[in-house]
This record gives sequence, C-alpha cells and structure tokens, in this order.
Amino acid sequence: MKFFKNISIITFILFFIAGLMNLQAQTQEYKIDGMTFGMPEAKVYTDDYDGPPVVGEYVTMLPKLAKLDYEGNKHHHVRLDTFTQEIEVASGVRYRAWTFGGMVPGPVIHVKEGDRITFTMKNRSDEMVEITQPIAEMMQQSEGQGGPSANLEVQASVNGSESADPSPYLRQIRENNYMGTKSAIMPMPHSMDFHSGTVAKDDKWRTIAPGETIEFDWVANYPGTYIYHCGTPSVLMHTAMGQHGVVVVSPKDGYETDEKVDEEYVVVQSEYYLKKGSGDLYQYDFDAAQNKRPSHVVFNGHQTILHDQPLTANAGERVRIHFSNNGPSLTSSFHVIGGIFDRVWMEGHPFNEMRGMQTVLLGASNSATIEFIVPEEGKYILIDHEFADAEKGATGTLVAGPKK
Amino acid sequence: MKLPFKTYHRLIPVLTLLLLILAAGVQAQERAVTIPEGSFHSVLPEVEGEPHQIDAFKLDTTAVTNGEYLQFLKANPEWRRSQISPLFAGSDYLRHWEEDLRIGDKESPDQPVTRVSWFAANAYCGWQGGRLPTLNEWEFAAQAMDFENSTEANRFSSELIGWYSAVDTNSKSEVGSTGIENQYGVKDLFGLIMEWVEDFNPPVADDISLDCGTVGRMQGDPTVYSYAMSIRYITRMSFKPKSTTGMLGFRCAYDMSANEKEI
Repeated sequence: MKFFKNISIITFILFFIAGLMNLQAQTQEYKIDGMTFGMPEAKVYTDDYDGPPVVGEYVTMLPKLAKLDYEGNKHHHVRLDTFTQEIEVASGVRYRAWTFGGMVPGPVIHVKEGDRITFTMKNRSDEMVEITQPIAEMMQQSEGQGGPSANLEVQASVNGSESADPSPYLRQIRENNYMGTKSAIMPMPHSMDFHSGTVAKDDKWRTIAPGETIEFDWVANYPGTYIYHCGTPSVLMHTAMGQHGVVVVSPKDGYETDEKVDEEYVVVQSEYYLKKGSGDLYQYDFDAAQNKRPSHVVFNGHQTILHDQPLTANAGERVRIHFSNNGPSLTSSFHVIGGIFDRVWMEGHPFNEMRGMQTVLLGASNSATIEFIVPEEGKYILIDHEFADAEKGATGTLVAGPKK
Repeated sequence: MKLPFKTYHRLIPVLTLLLLILAAGVQAQERAVTIPEGSFHSVLPEVEGEPHQIDAFKLDTTAVTNGEYLQFLKANPEWRRSQISPLFAGSDYLRHWEEDLRIGDKESPDQPVTRVSWFAANAYCGWQGGRLPTLNEWEFAAQAMDFENSTEANRFSSELIGWYSAVDTNSKSEVGSTGIENQYGVKDLFGLIMEWVEDFNPPVADDISLDCGTVGRMQGDPTVYSYAMSIRYITRMSFKPKSTTGMLGFRCAYDMSANEKEI
C-alpha cells in the first residue's frame, strides 16, 4: 500500500517537473539582423471588461495619418475589441458587420519599425457595444469591474503620456460617424492575424470564443503597410463581413522624401458581398463571395466616403498615400487620374522603390506607399483601374486648392 | 385470459396509477423521437470510405425553451443565475433574463433558452433522464433532411450560411417555428439557434488547425452543404464548456436502452 502511495507521489512530482520544463521550453526572445523574434506565449482569459473597445494613442480613423511624435522606439499597448455593428456601406445599404473597433475597415494602427506592441482583444460579439458615447463614460462604466486586465490598457496609455487621448479613434467616430453605426449582437468565434507580426499563428492568432480575451506581443520588424484580419474559418466570410484593417509601420530611418511630404493618407480597398436580407438590411451573399462577384468594391469601407469627404491638398504639394488592397479576393490596379506616381515603395518598404508609375498592381493583402505631386488646382480621382471594380465603387476624390 | 368483471373493476385504479407513473417517467421524453441507426460522412477526418456509424437514439423534436428551463431552475437552485458556480458558467449566463426565476419581457417562455453553458445544458438533460446528443448523433440527425436533389440541398445550405452571418439573436423565433424539419420530425436543427453537443470539441479538433485553409481541408466533397457543415463544426470547436452566447442553446438526447427500462 505504502509502495503505491510513494509511486503516486513520485508520479505527481514527475508531472510537476514536466510541467515546469514545458514552461521553460517556451521560445526565448532572440535577434537576427537587428530584428526581434520569440514572443512570449499568448494569454487567453475571461473577464468582465466592458470599457472602451478601442484603446491606443496611435490608433486612428482613416484616412488622415499623423506623423509619429516620438523619438526612438516605443512599447505600445493597443486594445482592439471585436464586435458586431450595423453600418452603412453605400447609400441605402446597411448590414450587420463583424468589426474590429466598430467600423470597416478597422482603425489604422501606426507604429515605427522596431516598436513592440502588446495587443489585447476581447471577443464582444455577444454584447451590445456602444461606440458613440464619450470615452469618460465608458471608462466610468468599466471601473471596478473585470478581471486581470480590465482598464490596464487605458491606464497604460494614460500614464504613458499625461495629455494624450487614450482613444483618439473613438473620439473620431463620435465626430464623424459616417457609417451611422448601431450596436448589434451576433456571437461568433473570432481571431486576429497581423501581417505586420512575425509569430507562430497557432499561438498568437488563436481563435477565441465570445466573452474571451486574447493578449499577445509582436514586434514591428519590417517597415510598410500591412493588413490585419480575422483568421477564423471561414476566413472568406469573416473578412468579407468586415474584419480587416491596416497597420502602418513607419521605417525607422524614414523615406527619402519625408521632408518634402505635405499630406499623408491611408486608403484601403476592399470588397463587400451583400444581398438584400429579409428586412431592410443586407446580408452576406455566400455564392457571390465564392465566385468573386462583389456587390460593392470600396475605398475606406464606404462606396462614396472619399467623394463625400475627399482628400485635400494644394497644387504643387507632394501627397503620400499608403494604399492597401485588403481584398478579400480581388486585385487592385490603383491609379490617380491626372497624376503620375513619383515614387512607389512596394509594401511600403523603402528598399522597394520604383519611380514614374501610372498604376500599381496589388493582389489581395498587398500594399504600396505611393507619392505624387499635385500638378494644379482641381479634382483628382483615385481609382481602381480595373473598371468593373471602379464602377462598383472603388473610386475617391482628391480636391486640390491653388498653389501656395 | 378471462377475468371476472369485478377483477377488472378493481384493477382500474391500479392501472390508472400505473399509467400516471409511466406518464411521469416519459414526460420528459414525450416529444423525443427515435432516430434509427445508420451512418453518415462528417467533415471531420475519418477513415476513407468508412462513414460514422450511429446507433439508434432518441432526440427532442424541439430545443429546450425558456419556460422548460425555468422549471429546471425551480427544482435545482444551484443552477440559478445568482447561485451557479463560476466554474460552470461565465457572468453572461442567462444575462437576458430578468431575475433568477423570471424570464422577463425580453423573451417569451416558448423561445429557445440561450446563454446556457455546456455544464448547465448537461445538468438539464441529466435531470430529464437524458443527456446531450453526441456531435455525430446531432449531425446525423441534421443531415436526415428530405432534399429532392443536390441542387436543392446546396440552395438550402447557401441560405444557411447566410443565416450564420446574419442571425439576429435579439429577436429569436419560438421553437418549432422555422418550418425546417428532418425526416423524423425533429425541428429547427437549422435556422433558430446553434446547439450544444456532448463532445463539441472532439480530440481531432486539435489536429485541425483553424486557419484560412481549414474550410477547404475539411470539405470532403466541395459542396455548399459540406461548407455549411464546416462552419458549424468550426464554430462549435471554438467554445469552452463555460461559454454562453445568445445564439447557443441545446436539446436533449436519450439512450434507447434507458427508455426501454423506464417503459
């Protein structure tokens, strides 16, 4: 009897040691060519967080991109919850979108090459998430609630810089809610896949159930504009339903033209596959998505937004656009009517430079950082030169004022 | 055998009592129907050419309603919203109910109960003398639909995928109202809610890496039907036993042998 008891204790100890060794077997952080690899294991947990669904000082709404205001590298704390919102994507066309942060595409996350990002996402798809109330109210609401990480991100950002707005994105939505967002519930498993991160996807890009939160780190090793999207199958359905956005990683040594750039924008092309649902709302059209027949191809998530709220510049200015084709399934032949691309950096990497291009061809999840000189006062049309797609909405306007 | 009238007469109360006892015993299962044994091909990896074998079992014709779940809570205080152990459900358990024992105005007693965890669903079915259907039992029952041809099946599946991406959990229909019924009279397996099964996350799920290609790899035959099936499997596999959502309810199954013993 005693013998057996001993055996069980020994077994227990062995298991315990094996468990410890397993922990120690996690990849250690290491460097290659100045880049950082080997991130700690992702954490998945459940808490009652119901505070601001988007947190991050450098997380903003399309299309205007501000220059980064810090020297050297920074450790960002970004929260981008995933939840359902009813949105308008064209005049009279509304559907319940699966979103990162409440709109389609999700917000632009702006970081610098070499920055580290601690990313938090709660799957709030079984919750009515209200994104238009003032952030102070949201924070108050969530006070004293939640488990291990509630408010952590908010505090981190607030402490990082006293005057900074912890969530400029939510303020921007309140000021300019052009999609007329309304909260809705559609519980689904979701995940986050950052193309700008270099990690093991079965750990960091893990699918989480409604109510769960995932937290992981990644380092922006490569400069450029990278898409992020939900990687939960059917990926076609999840991305077509709206779960995508971009990260802009500014090169640590900049682009050669940085001093000369007057305006900097981000434009994202994507497709919707929608059909009329039973009520007034539209819904996902599986057959159209499978056969790559989009109902709408749009810039910045809405068929007319870049005409209703055009980009602006003046004659003689140099305009930079980080252009990303987020797909999910089509190519884009991006062109600006009346302009020639003075510079094109494929994927936004400063080494991939081309000059004097009329059109840049981008596959699904390709991007380019382009610059052109605005020749004279007037209107310039941004367009996918694949005209079938342009006529489904993939156009926008840049209005140029007189030369200053 | 011939019995004198008097004997018959004396037997009546006894028989009545017996009937009452029987009725109570099968009350829980009165709306369950037998799904005869058979086999089917799922979208999970299986030995090639060998479909899953399913023994005969009984399955509720409709999902468990708010009203029925309320009865369970009255009899089992430990599963009430204020009493349930945090080990068995998250804080959203029955969130849309007004109180522990009041459904409230948001939902009717005839709507399917949702925001119940796998633990709670299990306890309910056990209380009813049953259990949750296994994943294969549920899917076997679900594929027993009368489609005229594969075109019709694919059209139905296409609609189903539309439903998965547009379901409105704030206005669910009542049970039995979808008009969707399998060959054996089991209703609303599609189009109302998603349902817990006993082994919602089978061991093989760990081998099926959930990513962009999963749907393609899971589809044995590239039909819309199996595409819809993949989405269902994948969604279920992401749940934890504590998970609750406004889209997730359940119905119970019963072993044939258990029923025979009682009857």
